Formats: sequence, structure tokens, C-alpha cells
Amino acid sequence: MNSKLIRELQTLVKNEVISLEVADKIEAYYNSKSPNQSNKLLTIFGVIGSLLVGLGIILVLAHNWDNFSKITKTVLAFLPLLVGQIIVGYSLLKKKSKTWLESSGVFLFFAVGSSISLVSQIYNIPGNLSSFLLTWILLCVPLIYLLKSKALFLLILVFATVYSFDVGYNFSGIRKVPWMYLLIIAILLPKYLMLLKDEVVQNYTSLLNWLFPLSFIIVFGAFINSNFLFELILYILLFGLLYNIGLLKKNDKTRLVKNGFLVIGSIGLVITLLLASSKSFWYKNIDVSNLEIKEILIVILLILSTVFVLLKNNFFKNKGYQKLFQSASIIMIFIFIVHYFDVTVALSLINFTILALGIITIKKGVDTINFTLLNYGLLIITALIITRFFDTNMSFVVRGLLFILVGVGFFSTNYLLAKKIKKNA
Amino acid sequence: MLKFYRMKSKKIIFILFLLVAILQLLAPTKMIYDQENTLKKGKALKFLTEPIDPNDPFRGKYIRMNYDINSFKTKDTIWERKQEIYVYLNDSLGFATLKTVSKTKLEIDNNYVKAEVSWYDNYNNKLRFNLPFDRFYMEESKAKPAEDLVRINNRRDSLKTNITFAMVYLNDDKFVLENVFINGVSIKDLVGK
Repeated sequence: MNSKLIRELQTLVKNEVISLEVADKIEAYYNSKSPNQSNKLLTIFGVIGSLLVGLGIILVLAHNWDNFSKITKTVLAFLPLLVGQIIVGYSLLKKKSKTWLESSGVFLFFAVGSSISLVSQIYNIPGNLSSFLLTWILLCVPLIYLLKSKALFLLILVFATVYSFDVGYNFSGIRKVPWMYLLIIAILLPKYLMLLKDEVVQNYTSLLNWLFPLSFIIVFGAFINSNFLFELILYILLFGLLYNIGLLKKNDKTRLVKNGFLVIGSIGLVITLLLASSKSFWYKNIDVSNLEIKEILIVILLILSTVFVLLKNNFFKNKGYQKLFQSASIIMIFIFIVHYFDVTVALSLINFTILALGIITIKKGVDTINFTLLNYGLLIITALIITRFFDTNMSFVVRGLLFILVGVGFFSTNYLLAKKIKKNA
Repeated sequence: MLKFYRMKSKKIIFILFLLVAILQLLAPTKMIYDQENTLKKGKALKFLTEPIDPNDPFRGKYIRMNYDINSFKTKDTIWERKQEIYVYLNDSLGFATLKTVSKTKLEIDNNYVKAEVSWYDNYNNKLRFNLPFDRFYMEESKAKPAEDLVRINNRRDSLKTNITFAMVYLNDDKFVLENVFINGVSIKDLVGK
């Protein structure tokens, strides 16, 4: 049990806030819970330990020891792999604790990597980084389910993202689509859904709530290959979908900090909409008939899934400030169609959408006495004004006055809200 | 009853794990087998080259080979980047020379290498490509000196009496880069001294 709590209990007893018996009971309650806690800590350290040892082995082998004969090198390639497999097998057979399974799993993961890389070294096998990573990932993916390992889940998600980045954003050569990423995500998804169902409040699950959307937005660009404006619109659709997923009922209980889908979706929406609100992006008209089937399929898929999630969220029955955020990506499609008729109208529609997003966020912040929301809304409006400065010809006096106005707005709204809190209290 | 099921699922999980473990062992074994097979059955050819030294985050230092065989004069201008091509070779006193390049496999007995198109040079009517065996792993302290050694040798040597070549074994579309030599001495031994 942590010492801070014990000290706190002692002061509470001393000041006669609680009785000695209650203090004892509280202490007993936390003591009964604590063994679990220390186990968790042990698991984390075990995982970090095997992570470091595994990486260390890979680095030591990457020295390419010349004086070792081919046979010595071959033995070295298999040794860590066999050791890892034996430990994992032993943990499985003897039904060892989570700590064992997690740490041995992570060690085995790196042993697989070191063995393939050492064989590549011995025979000078060329193969690029991405094909090496893919073999590595695929050889280890089943371990996630067999060992019920959370650490391996994280490792594979990160490695799959790195792999897709390497394939998709190859700046020197031609960009390829990392299709295998979809397969790996499909393998990971059931486990993630299971975690969302059973352990939604756990810190580990919230970490995944951030890593999944982050991985999606990093890899998404590798799947689309079109002109910039269209890619931007596709990204707006993606962020809209992420935001709506963040609003699903399952995430109701989670705090904002733990809801990566919602936060990334919301901030991503604002940034991409701001980019799209600039005049220079709309110069090139997109000829829709030039688009590849892949991009069109992605658009349809994104729209359908957004609509599906919207319906699941009872979009038409609910009332709330989030409604505009939820439908922003769909509105964007409407604006995109409008731009074929009149670019100016489309541009002003985007600007109004962003302005409205800012205003309703501020209103919600004031109504619920939430400083985060209030300042987020103010930031949206400030960002909108700043971006408009670059593509409109306002005189410096007007610009200066606008800035002063926004600054005063920041002060006064925050001050008024603080006052409101005092009044309520 | 419940215990019985638990026992059973434990067994299944263990068997599945054994399968995964076997796959994990098979992957490097298959790699080794392919390479050894090529070394044993393949034809050894020498490729003139010039090395430079880059890095791989997991596999360490290697020297990258710039081969003399890297282009093919052709009037055919329709080539895509990264397109797979068959590079057919002649054996001239143990050294590899270019015979022809083809988009498809040809019915001739010459050794060949599968390579990727870099780009087509319209000005010189030349198809540029890279031979795939372009990595030679070396101990990390030796990769840079090895590159320097070759460069210094080549600079002093205007008559081109110094030759650097890679010994490559070819067997169908499999290949192994076995060693790199400067004037007949292994580059590893030269740098080690």
C-alpha cells in the first residue's frame, strides 16, 4: 500500500475526520488489492527487461563478427530463438504467471528478428527493410493470441506501422500500397474489441485508443495517391470517422484523456478543415473521372462507415454540440460538390463551418463550465483568423485590431467563466 | 467438466504454439538451405564493382556494390520503374559480361539474374538497372576502411590494373554474393591487416 495514503489516513484520524476503525478498514481494503498491483509492476519491468535484452542481442549480432566461422554464426542465429521458444513453451506448459508469458513472449519476438537478420548477414541476402519486417511480424503475430500477450500486441502494432511507412512513403523509389497492413490490423482487431468490452477503463486499453488512430492516420496516406486536395478531403473523411468512433457508447465512461479517437478526430478535423479553407487549394479542379478505383472505393467505404457509426450514435435523435463535429466530414462532401459550381461559395461554406465549430465549442464550454472546451473553441477561431490573414488583403490596422479583439476575447471569457464558477460555489 | 475443458484448451494452445515455433525455426532454415544450395549447385561468376558503405538498423553495416553491369543499350523505350527484368550474362574467363536484357524468361542456357528497372535513359537510349546482390555485410569497423581502400586504389590506378570484383553464385533465379575481392585477395583480409 502506498505510503502517501497511510500518512493521509493518519492525519485524518488525528483530526478526527474518520475513526480508527474506518482507517483500519480502508487500509485492509487497499492491502487486499495491492498484491495485484505489484504483480502488474513486475510484469511491466519484466517486459522492459526482455525488450532491452532482445534489442541488445540484435545490436551485438549486427556488429558482424568476422572471426566467427559460418557455423558459429549459424549456431548464434538459432540459439536465442531456441532459448526463447523453450522459455515460452515452459511458461505455457507450467501455466506460469502473466509476468512470465509477457516477458518470454517479448524476448522470443526479438529472437525471431535476430535470427532472420543474422542469416541475412551470413549470406549477404539483399532484401529491403520492409520485407524483413513483414516476415518478422507474420512469424510472431500468432503469439499475441496464444500467450494472451499485451506487450506483443503493442510491439506488432508499432512494427506494422513502421513497415507500412517504409513501404508506402518510399521517397527514393516508387510508392507501393502496404496491403499487408490491412491483414495485420484484421488479426489485431478481435483482441482489441475484446479489450474494449472487458477492460475499457484500463490504462492499457486507453493507450491503444491513442495508438490505433495514430497508426491509422500515419498509414492512411500510403493507401491514397491522388492530388493534394483530394487527399485532404479523404483525410477529413477519416478524421470524421475517428471522431464518430470516439463518440460510440462504449467510450461514454472513458475520460477525454483516454479517448484518443475523439481527441485525434476532433483536432485532425479542425486542422484539415483549416487547410481546406485556404483559397490556393481549390485552384486545381479535380476531374473525378480520372480517379482510380482504389480511391473511389476508399471514399465509399469511409462514407458508409461514417454513416453507419452516425446511426449507431443515434445522430438524429441526440442533441448536442458535437453534432456539427460529427457531420463535418459529410458536410465537406457536400461542399466538395458545390465547388464544381462555384468555388467562392464552397470556400465561404468551409469558413462558416469552422467558425460554427469554434462558436458552439465555446458555448458548450461556458455552459458546462469547462475551461478546456472554452479555450479549444477560442483556439479554433484564432487559427481561422490567422489562416485568413495569409490569403486576404486586409490592412495591417484591421489585422491588428482583430488580433486585439481575439486576445481580449480570450481574457474576458476565461475571466467570466472563472467568476461563474466562484458564484456557483 | 470445466477442468477437463481447461486442460484441453491448454493442450491445444501448446500444440498451436509448437506449430508457430516450428514456423519460426523453418524461416531461417529455409533461407540457409536456399543459399547453401545455390553455393553448391550454382555457377560462380565475377562481377566488377565499386563499393560504398551504408547502414541497416537491424542487420548492421554493409558495403553497397555499384556494379559495372548496370545498363543495357536498347531502342525499346517502354519500361516501367521497378519492373522485373531478366538480365542474361556471358562467362568471359570467369567474369560476367552482359548478353541481353529481356522482359520475359528466354529459352537460352545462359545464366541470368532477376533485376529491377531503375529508369530508361532516353538521351543515351540506355536502360538502367541495379543487380540485386548489392549488399555485402562486414564487421562494423571494417566497412568504411574497405570503401576507402577501393577508392584509393582506383584513384592511383589510371591503367585499371587493380580490379575489385564480387564473387556471385547463380542457380536459376537464386543467387549468393559469396565474397568481394581486390586483386584476388578477400576484402575482409585486406582491411583486417
